[in-house]
Amino acid sequence: MKNILLIALLFSTTFAITQEQAKDSTKVYKKRVLEKIEVDFLTSYYSQDGDNASVTGGIGTEEMTDLATDIVVSIPLNDNDILTINAEISAYTSASSSNLNPFDNDNPSGVTGSPWVESTGDSRKDTWINGNVSYSHSSDDRNKIWSANLNFAAEYDYTSAGIGGSYTWLFNEKNTEFGIKGNAYFDTWNPRTPVELDAFRDTQNLNLGFLGNLDILDQNGNVIDKDGANVWNPLSTVLVDDKTRNTFAFSLSFSQIVNKNAQISFFADFIQQNGWLSSPLQRVYLGDRDNFYIGNPQSIPNYTSSSNRDVFQLADDIERLPDSRVKIPIGMRFNYYINEIFVARTYYRFYTDDWGITSHTAEIEIPIKISDKFTLYPSYRYYTQTAADYFAPYEENLSTQEFYTSDFDLSDFDANQYGFGIKYTDIFTKLHIWKLNLKSVELKYSHYDRSTGLTSDIITLGFNYIFE
Amino acid sequence: MKKLIYILIVGGFLTSCVAVKEYEKININDPDMILASRKANKFETTFQSYRESAAGANGGKTGGGCGCN
Repeated sequence: MKNILLIALLFSTTFAITQEQAKDSTKVYKKRVLEKIEVDFLTSYYSQDGDNASVTGGIGTEEMTDLATDIVVSIPLNDNDILTINAEISAYTSASSSNLNPFDNDNPSGVTGSPWVESTGDSRKDTWINGNVSYSHSSDDRNKIWSANLNFAAEYDYTSAGIGGSYTWLFNEKNTEFGIKGNAYFDTWNPRTPVELDAFRDTQNLNLGFLGNLDILDQNGNVIDKDGANVWNPLSTVLVDDKTRNTFAFSLSFSQIVNKNAQISFFADFIQQNGWLSSPLQRVYLGDRDNFYIGNPQSIPNYTSSSNRDVFQLADDIERLPDSRVKIPIGMRFNYYINEIFVARTYYRFYTDDWGITSHTAEIEIPIKISDKFTLYPSYRYYTQTAADYFAPYEENLSTQEFYTSDFDLSDFDANQYGFGIKYTDIFTKLHIWKLNLKSVELKYSHYDRSTGLTSDIITLGFNYIFE
Repeated sequence: MKKLIYILIVGGFLTSCVAVKEYEKININDPDMILASRKANKFETTFQSYRESAAGANGGKTGGGCGCN
């Protein structure tokens, strides 16, 4: 019996080897770039708060929430080609942007507003939608990959159309990778400007329109004579004279497998922007011009305090920034497989631009495989930047400057971010909804602290499915 | 700091003179070893680009496509 079994085993093995050799001689096995349709679903909830709202000139509530969802469907068209369709929607409510018109509220004491109170106007919320279609082709030996993509995005006051392409070349037994990428965005503003500047531009007369029905107060709380000499008069009635914003980005990347457990990559972008690069929503209050208000005169001495609920200062101008900007970020990643449990993922970026900003970003994430199915993702990120040449806080810019902003995103600050995530992975994809088999699900939370006082939290939930 | 980066780069290239074979890449091919930002970080990266001046070199936005900086 043993002999029969042995002969059968030898025969079947020989037959199998012969069959494999026959296959090899006729066709080289080529693995598909993507075996099946994959669907990535990602959703997040973000909230932030701070005291330096840029819409109200660098003071005021920065309270904001955002709910975003992203769906990416990757479809293998054949062995070599993948079509990827990405749809994203992001809906926010923001106290800061609501104060584009701070007087549009339910305050029982009449038409009044405050940088510390959310207005009920339309600008308090918006929805940003984004669609991206990309096509990639890999060569038969999988050493060359090129791709092309089209992009469209829109929100209430902004639309964008983008096009891009990339080429990746792998060599040295796929130990080394070199990539180039280019993207161009052609964007258009539908500018929305602060309500009082809008009104003055339209009438250029304080007795007409929206401002005609309201008392304007001086710094001492006295009602001004609108026909007198000392009246509120914005610096310019030309608010936005160019509605375009174009961005051209060129990227280079280089990756190298260092050894069986480590790999490193370097990448650099060159980004050139031109057009209207400031935000039309953002007010500026200039230190060398008289101040004027609408609302409760008794609250003027406490204007910059969050106890101010009922007086609002009229803007001197919107922010003014140059019509061109060159950004150069240079980054590197180094990942090290420590053992079957720990991996170290590190990231560093140096950034500089011609607006005077220099920044450093450093990040570390340590994935910890606590079982075959569960991985933990603790992470820490540090960020620091210098201020733009044109930044100064509330009432510290001067009318003699060509450019000015009180947007604290362009100020000098540093920030710390702490994150923690957990991922469940099922390589056998047993769980399924309809034809979508769950490959992995991940939940992540991060807390962000900026030295300007802004704090934010984000929670993200992601699902990765295989379509059967 | 500069020295450390220099040592990392030079060390990396010297070590990589011998290419790692496909069958030796089991650790390199671990999903957590990917040399890119993880998918779950996509929205975080977006908000960082809104709240910070630096953008790019991380797979996120570079300034186009939104009214952000």
